[in-house]
Amino acid sequence: MGVLLLIGTRKGLFLIRGDDERRSFELEGPFLPGWQINHATLDPRDGALYACANSWVYGGTVQRSTDLGRTWERSEGLGLPEESGLKLASTWHLEPGHASEPKTLWLGGEPAVLFRSDDSGATWQVNDGVLNHETREKWAPGAGGLITHSITLDPEDAARLWIGISAAGVFRTEDRGESWQPANAGTEACFLPEDPYPEVGQCVHKVLAHPGKPGRLWQQNHCGVYRSDDHGASWERLEGNGLPSGFGFGLALDPSDPDRAFVIPEEGAENRVTCDGRLGIYTTADAGASWELIVAAEPAWVAVLREGMSQDDEAVYVGAQSGHVYALRHGEVVVAAENLPPILSVEAAALQ
Amino acid sequence: MAIVLLPGLLATEAGGQKRFEVDATTIGDALRGLPVSDLVLDERGEVRSLVHVYVDGERAGDLGAAVEPKSRIRIVAAIAGG
Repeated sequence: MGVLLLIGTRKGLFLIRGDDERRSFELEGPFLPGWQINHATLDPRDGALYACANSWVYGGTVQRSTDLGRTWERSEGLGLPEESGLKLASTWHLEPGHASEPKTLWLGGEPAVLFRSDDSGATWQVNDGVLNHETREKWAPGAGGLITHSITLDPEDAARLWIGISAAGVFRTEDRGESWQPANAGTEACFLPEDPYPEVGQCVHKVLAHPGKPGRLWQQNHCGVYRSDDHGASWERLEGNGLPSGFGFGLALDPSDPDRAFVIPEEGAENRVTCDGRLGIYTTADAGASWELIVAAEPAWVAVLREGMSQDDEAVYVGAQSGHVYALRHGEVVVAAENLPPILSVEAAALQ
Repeated sequence: MAIVLLPGLLATEAGGQKRFEVDATTIGDALRGLPVSDLVLDERGEVRSLVHVYVDGERAGDLGAAVEPKSRIRIVAAIAGG
């Protein structure tokens, strides 16, 4: 089966169709020209495309297409209640809900907000548990703003999911979003000189739950790479064993192997380019005990953002701010596209 | 009927239509009647900070200001970006 890659860029959305071997790729687009696509995804339950389309003038939107990008419909009524004193600044990540809830979608945005739709994105309801969280006053914006950028589902329990907010940390709900508990034990806030292990305030860059092993999560943080085997109750740091840096944004997992993960370390917070003058994808096959380097491009001083990696059963896909898209399969890297606008997001979907 | 003129991106979102004739007595009425009102106005019903509204060539700041039956309301995006 081939793959459909959804590539969100600063200037529109692109689709890339890859063949069974992930060697030949065809580019289509741009769709939604004029919009910055922070994230786009395909809902595997009905085949609809969704894009978090943003404009510095016209604000944050969600766009939906049921014909693979030919036409789009914008969600209406997306905003924050007046009593919150907040306004929606942008949309960042859309996650299709659990298979048992076929019309449910989750949406993360700025300033640190979460929405749920139960009608396939026609309307949205803000999540009060996040909006009014008791620790909210301790949250601080990162370089990308105060953003809800990660939403990841428990593979078995539709009531349990995790969100990642920069810089507030990881939060878990076990009651479908009614309440949220911080899930940051063991993750460092290395930028806080007084208390580097607070309850909240960590700068998570990406958190993903493994789709085949309940309880296992991976996290790329501002201050390290982590794994949890207890639904986020505690985290183990995974550096000092082959990674050149703990700083990075992108994270990808192997759907069929919960012990395998992929990260792209960067020099550090003050120099956000890939390490050692090359685009290095580091992979572990032993749950983070050791890491192996795969060079995708060299020389290269690029950056891969938090939504810039994705995966399917065949390959890992990387979109860089240089506008290049790479496919990594069986240790071999193929350039799938080049010279696109700076890439903000990559999602891989099965090509029907 | 007042006439509202949209810039390109808004016209695309409005199904390709750049010019709307609206039955409105105030600027706010005219903007709220557009199919892209949610892009021009935020969730409080206020004009987004980088959206500029001109009525008959004059920059408008008050949504409650009256418009004449033949007024031309032009929506302009602030110059920004890269």
